[in-house]
Formats: sequence, C-alpha cells, structure tokens
Amino acid sequence: MSSLKLDHLSKHYGEAVIVRDLSLEIANGEFVSLLGPSGCGKTTVLRMVAGLIAPTGGKITIGEREITVLPPNKRRIGLVFQSYALFPHLTVFENVAFGLRRQGVKGVELEKRVKDALALVRLDAFGDRYPRQMSGGQQQRVAMARAIAPRPDVLLFDEPLSNLDAKLRDEMQIELKRLQRELGITTLFVTHDQAEALSLSDRVCVMAHGNIEQFAVPEDIYHRPATAFVASFIGKPNRLPGKVASRNGAGGTVEIGCGLTLNADRLDVAAGGEVELFLRQEAIELRTTPAEAPANSIPGTVQLRSFSGAHVQYVVRIGAGTEIVVEAPSSGAASNLEKDASVFLAVAPANVFALAAKGARS
Amino acid sequence: MNESKPGLTITSIALLVILFLQLPVIVVVLAAFSTTSYLTIPPQGLTLKWFAKVLSDPVYLDAIRISLMLAVGSTAISLVLGVAAAYALFKRMLPGTEALTSFLMAPLILPSVVIGVALLQYYSLIGWRGSFAALLLAHVIITVPYIVRSALASLAGVDTSVEEAARVLGANGFTAFRLVTLPLIKPGLVAGALFAFVTSMENVPVTIFVASAKQTTLPILIFSSVEMGVDPSIAAVSTLLIVATVFVLWLAERWTGFHRFI
Amino acid sequence: MSNWKAGVLLFGPLALLLFGVFLVPVLLLAPTSFHEYSPGVGIVANSWTLENYARIVTDDYYREVVWRTLYLGLGVTVSCLLLGYPVAYLIVRGPARLRLPLTLLVIFPLMLNLVVRSFGWIALLSNRGLVNNFLIQTGLIGAPLKLMFNLTGLMIGMTHIYLPFMVLMLVAALQNVPRDVEAAAATLGSSRTHVFTSVTLPLTAPGIISGSILVFVLTISALVTPRMLGGPTYKVMATLIYDEYMQLLDWPSGSALSFSLTVIAIAIIWASSRITKCWAGMA
Repeated sequence: MSSLKLDHLSKHYGEAVIVRDLSLEIANGEFVSLLGPSGCGKTTVLRMVAGLIAPTGGKITIGEREITVLPPNKRRIGLVFQSYALFPHLTVFENVAFGLRRQGVKGVELEKRVKDALALVRLDAFGDRYPRQMSGGQQQRVAMARAIAPRPDVLLFDEPLSNLDAKLRDEMQIELKRLQRELGITTLFVTHDQAEALSLSDRVCVMAHGNIEQFAVPEDIYHRPATAFVASFIGKPNRLPGKVASRNGAGGTVEIGCGLTLNADRLDVAAGGEVELFLRQEAIELRTTPAEAPANSIPGTVQLRSFSGAHVQYVVRIGAGTEIVVEAPSSGAASNLEKDASVFLAVAPANVFALAAKGARS
Repeated sequence: MNESKPGLTITSIALLVILFLQLPVIVVVLAAFSTTSYLTIPPQGLTLKWFAKVLSDPVYLDAIRISLMLAVGSTAISLVLGVAAAYALFKRMLPGTEALTSFLMAPLILPSVVIGVALLQYYSLIGWRGSFAALLLAHVIITVPYIVRSALASLAGVDTSVEEAARVLGANGFTAFRLVTLPLIKPGLVAGALFAFVTSMENVPVTIFVASAKQTTLPILIFSSVEMGVDPSIAAVSTLLIVATVFVLWLAERWTGFHRFI
Repeated sequence: MSNWKAGVLLFGPLALLLFGVFLVPVLLLAPTSFHEYSPGVGIVANSWTLENYARIVTDDYYREVVWRTLYLGLGVTVSCLLLGYPVAYLIVRGPARLRLPLTLLVIFPLMLNLVVRSFGWIALLSNRGLVNNFLIQTGLIGAPLKLMFNLTGLMIGMTHIYLPFMVLMLVAALQNVPRDVEAAAATLGSSRTHVFTSVTLPLTAPGIISGSILVFVLTISALVTPRMLGGPTYKVMATLIYDEYMQLLDWPSGSALSFSLTVIAIAIIWASSRITKCWAGMA
C-alpha cells in the first residue's frame, strides 16, 4: 500500500490538450474522487495512471516507485472498468484468479485468495458461474473482487456504478465504501456523479478542461466552492444572467433585471461586466415576509408546486418572467404554499456565485 | 399478422431451388456406387469397386496427399500471418489502416485466373516454378483474405477494455492476447480457417498455372480427367470429398456453432 | 512509440509476402501485355505494341468471347436473383425451425469442391448424362439434347455454383427489413403483393445490388466451370486466357486479356460501391 503522486502530468493529442500540467497527491489509504463533466480529462488521468495511455509529460509515482513509463502489467494497480470488462469465457473463479496466476500464485494459496476475495464481495457461492449468468450488480462485484485479489498498491475505478439502476447504485456505494475502508487501499475514483463523489470520498478533485478546479474535502467542495465553475457544477443551481453594478471589496452587487439586485460575497468580474449567476435550489429559503439584511430578499409568485417525498420543489417567478426553482424540505414551514402565493426568496450573499458570461463552463 | 409470411407458391419454388442446389451432389454419389460407367435412373446395380480403385491408385493417393498438405500448410500460415496483421490493423498501430486493409483483401477482388498467370510468369522468371514452397505461398495469398476478414470481424466484436483488464492484472501484451482476446475470437477464426481450407482444397485457377506435373492436386486431377470423359472413379473420389466436407462442417458446427459467422 | 514498432512486426510479414508474391507478379504482367508475340519464337524482345489490346476490340473472335462472357455474367446474375429471392424469403420469413437446416443446405454446396459440383453437372448434362438418358428412356426425345458445350450448360452450371452467394446476401438484406414497416404498410391497406413491391423490395435493394455485383464478377472471372462444362471450344475470357498461356504460349495476348478482365471486374466493383454510397447518402 502506498501513496499515489501525479507530478505535472499532461496529455496532448496534436493541438488538443486533454490534461494540462496536473499535479495531485493521494495519501496512503486515502479515497479520492476525480469529479467533472464528460470531456474534462478525468478518465484520461485514470488511464495514464493505469498505463493504458502514455502521458505527454510529467511523472507518476506510487510510493517510492516511479511508474510513468512502466507497462500496465508492471504497475501493481487494480482497475474496475465502467463496462466491468469481465472475461466472458472464464468462470467467476478464473476471472478473480487471473491476476493472481500472473503473479505465480498457485494451488491451495490461489484457491484461498480467490475465495477470500469473493467472500469480501459476498459472492462465495458463485465461483463456477460465468459472467453472463449473473446480474449487473453481481458482475460489478466480481469486477471488484478481481481488482482487489492481487492486492494492488492502488485501486482505480472508472465510473464503475454508472451502468447500474438507481437503487442498486445506492447499495453498491455503501458496499464500496465499506470495502475500501476495510482494505485501506489507496483509491482513485473517477465519476461524473457529484453525489457519488461527495459521499464516497475522503477528498474530491473537481476537474474541468484538463485542469484541477478544486481539491478538497467534500464539505469544502459543497459549501466553499473555490471557483465559479465548482459552484456551477456542484448542487442543483439556477442559472440567471446579470450585470455587475458595483464592487465592494471581494464581493459586489449584480443587477438581474427589473430593478432587482443580488449581493454576492465574492465576485471576480469588474463593474459593468456581464455574468452568469448560480443560485442553488436548496440554498434558497422561501419566506412569506422579506428577509433581513445582509441576506438578499427577492419578491416573487409561486407558479408550480411539486412534492417529491423529502422535498417540495417550487417554481417561483421573479421580476418580468425569470423563473427560479426552489427546493424546500417537506417538513419545513414553506412546504404548503399555494399557486400564486406571494413569497420572498432569501439567499445569503455567500451562496451567490457568479461566473463571467460566455466564460469557461461545461 | 400473416401478411409477410411466405405463401405456398413461394415455399414450393424455394424448396425446388434448394433441391436444385443438392442435385449434382446426389448425382455424384449415385454415380460412385453405380456399376455402369454412365448414369441411369434407377441405377443398374450397386458396387464399391470404384472406391477400391481410387484408394489403391497411387495417382489419386498422391493427389489427395498434396492437396491436404497444401490446404493444411496454407491455412496454418494464413492464420498466423493473417491474425497478426488483422490485430495490428484493429489496434490501428499503423497509419492508413483502411488502405492497408484493402491491400490485404486485393487477392479476393482480382480474378483468380489473373493471379494464376501472373504467378506463372513471375515464378518462371525467378526460377521458382515447380517448387512446393512457391505453390504453398501462392495458396497463402488466396486464402489469407478470408482469415483477415474473419479476424477483423471477430475483433470488432470484442470489448477492448477486456484486454486492458488483463494487462492491468499483470499480463504482458502477448499473454493478454493469448489468454483473453484469442479465445474470444476463436469461433470467428474457426469459420475463417474453414473457408481458407476449403478455398485451398478446391483451387484450380491458381494451382494449375503454378504447379508442376508432380504437384497435381485432387481438383486439378479431376479437372483434367474429365476432358477424357466421365469416369466413375472421379465420382468415387468426389464422394469421398463430399463425405469429408460434411464431416468437417459438422465438426466445426459442433465446436463453435460457426453458422452464425457466415 | 513502441506501438508503431509492434505494428510493423505484426503487419510486416504478411505485407512483405503480398508484395513479393502478389503485387509484383501482377504488375509484371503489364510490360508483357505490350510485347509482340511471334509463333514459334515466343516473346519478341524490345518490341512494343498495342496490338494485344487492339485485337480484343477489333478481332471478331475475341469480341465474341468478351460479349459472351458479359452476357453469361448477366444471365447468371438474373437467374440467381430470381431463384435466390424465394429461398432467402423462406429462410428469413418462414418457420423458425426450418431456418438452420435450410441455411445449411444452402451453405453445403458452397463448401463443396467446385470441381466436384461441376463434375456433377457433367454427369447430368452430357450426351449420355442422366437428363438425356432419362428423357430418351421415357421416350420424350429420340436423340440426346445438346446441354453441354454451349450457353445452356454454362448458365445452368454457373447459376448453381453462385446461387448460394446470392441467397446469403439476400438473407442478410431481408433480415434488416423491420417487420413493423411491412406490418404498417399492411395495416394501411396494402395488398400482400403491394407490400412486397412497395416496401420489402426497395428496402432489400442494397442487398440485391451487392449480391448481383458479387455473382456477376465471380461469373466473368470463373475458369473451372466454364472449362469443364464448355469444353475446349466454347470459350469465355478466363478459359481463353488459360489457353493463351497453356496451349498457345502467347503470353502477351493472354496478359492483355487478363488486364482487360481485371479492369472490367474492378470497374464494376468500383461503380457499384459508388452507387451504394450515393444511396446511403440519400437515406
């Protein structure tokens, strides 16, 4: 078991830059997610670590071993593929035994280690089956057993849960987390699903356009997005266009039309600049009375109410016709507002994020 | 919805056509067992003497031996060279994959007789005429497109991440291919090899120009014998070929269910 | 990258073989076809002439052989199409349990030695063959019909030889016609014939074209069956090439014929792929 270090890693295809000068250090036993929209370079990073793509520049180190130019079979890593990539012509037992056999493990020892790996994913009784005889969730677990059986230094996951249905995905998330904690293997987990990344990881690395936007613990990623991109990508944001009216220290005031303004704690655009604002559905409070400063308070009318169990979603119209979606807890005070009710949207300036318009976005 | 089911007329025509397809086979088998040297319906009498004649005739036995050596040899060489080349094309290891693929398929497009005369002239020029190796290479040329085509088709059906998984689990490139990719493309390769074998086994247009008198293959022997008239021993040796074909088809079908790959 | 090196190692041996034993020999035919040939002497060195090609177009005998070849190709293609379509239709749309046996019965002759199949037709069609014997025995005819060494024999034999290719192509095409589309046409009031001509036939047109091209090209290139059923006198291009090389030893004339045959075959394949591409572009 060892740490994983990426040092100024980059990948170019001709003119196209897929990964740009990326550095990242994952501590021994840590679970780190690479989170980003498709095309952000996260899978390329994972494939470079696995040795399936050669980096254009930079260095990859596991513990004290530099592996940048090693072929995949010499890297001592485990990889769980999005498609599982189980060997269809081999039994579950032989699938799991494949990596062990390559290490020269034989006989009783082999048998024991395959059984142990299958027991870890609770598939002890399935050794004789072929992958096609198993459900998607079971195949997923075989893929995990196969990756961990050779006791790799680093475990890589490439969107492993994206082919499962929602309910199974939640179960597998918990299973995966339990397994990783139990084994304590350094893990790099690639996903585009923010809930998955936030719930599984010790730290999350948000990527966009081949760069790291923020690398922090899940709480910081959610509550203290370092860049406007992270703010726009995490949570369920409403997007509205605006124009910076004035600056005030790090923050400022943004006009959003019809004489309405919003104060933001942080603003990277000069006065007069066009911006796109991101207001998270769950960060907006619905009130029947105006909110007090410093909170922003915007009047509006309820257009639609939609109950979904734990939450109630409202579509609220503000100004001339802008519609904002608000998510309120269904046990809260604002859970039973009628259509056409007059309300106020209360948003703390810390929860107003702005990005220069037409700027970098997914 | 009954509209698109074949009606009685279509069905009868189709069955008659399929009977027409089997007609020469039936006739050949009947002729092989018939006592007369020409065919009648019903056959005058049944005999095995034509088979005995063929199996004791060194000319026929030599021809069978040479045909088998050529077919086995060229199929084996084509398999090794063809699968290797197809793999390189599939992995796009070289620039111009499309052009290179067409190059490998070219012997299929050119009329065989043209390949035959081209090799006749070329082998005469460089003094290879009459060499068994030269004949074998000629057969590799005409069989290898079938192997390349079936290998490419089978490789296209293999999830590339499966081989990557083997690599990550500690297999080097060749081991990953041998343990994972090769077993997965095997059914397609069997079908391709079968086609290659049959192609070599029945080839006349190339062989007849390249082979010397000592290298008479079975089809060449039959081809040149018929100029002297219908001889029941030809029917007997043809029947042996029919039985061998049925057996090989049955074996391949049992082994891989290859009809899915045709 | 080492990827490139591996590619050369894997692709190289076959490429080298094809270059040395296929490409160079075929290209070396070209100079031969422009040489003069004089009987008894052989190829006249340092003589360059277009005579070998000119003869194919001007000489009556050569012209007849070329036209016969193309005519035969067309005839065999059309009869394969007419006979093959019902078979393909039965395989695809008939009872499911008949599917495998019927397919195997179509493939079986294909896997069978070409010489054996042609021999079977000789046994059937010759003057003392089964067909004539049967007809004479039953008293339907007095003297044997001439079924070999002419167009009839070649048409029958070659239709039989290439029919399986056509059927397999048509089966593939028919399988791609969605049943729902035919059902839709039927529910819209089309008769069975109208469903076939307005929906099924146009949708299988690409298969019909590629099957026809295949059969046509195979027919005009064929040597074995024309020689066995046509004998040494009733000639097509391939058998003429054979005689030029093996009997007359007139290599220049033979190679000119070879190139002409190749050009016709490749032109047809090229033209058909252009047509199919245009169609695909329209769809």
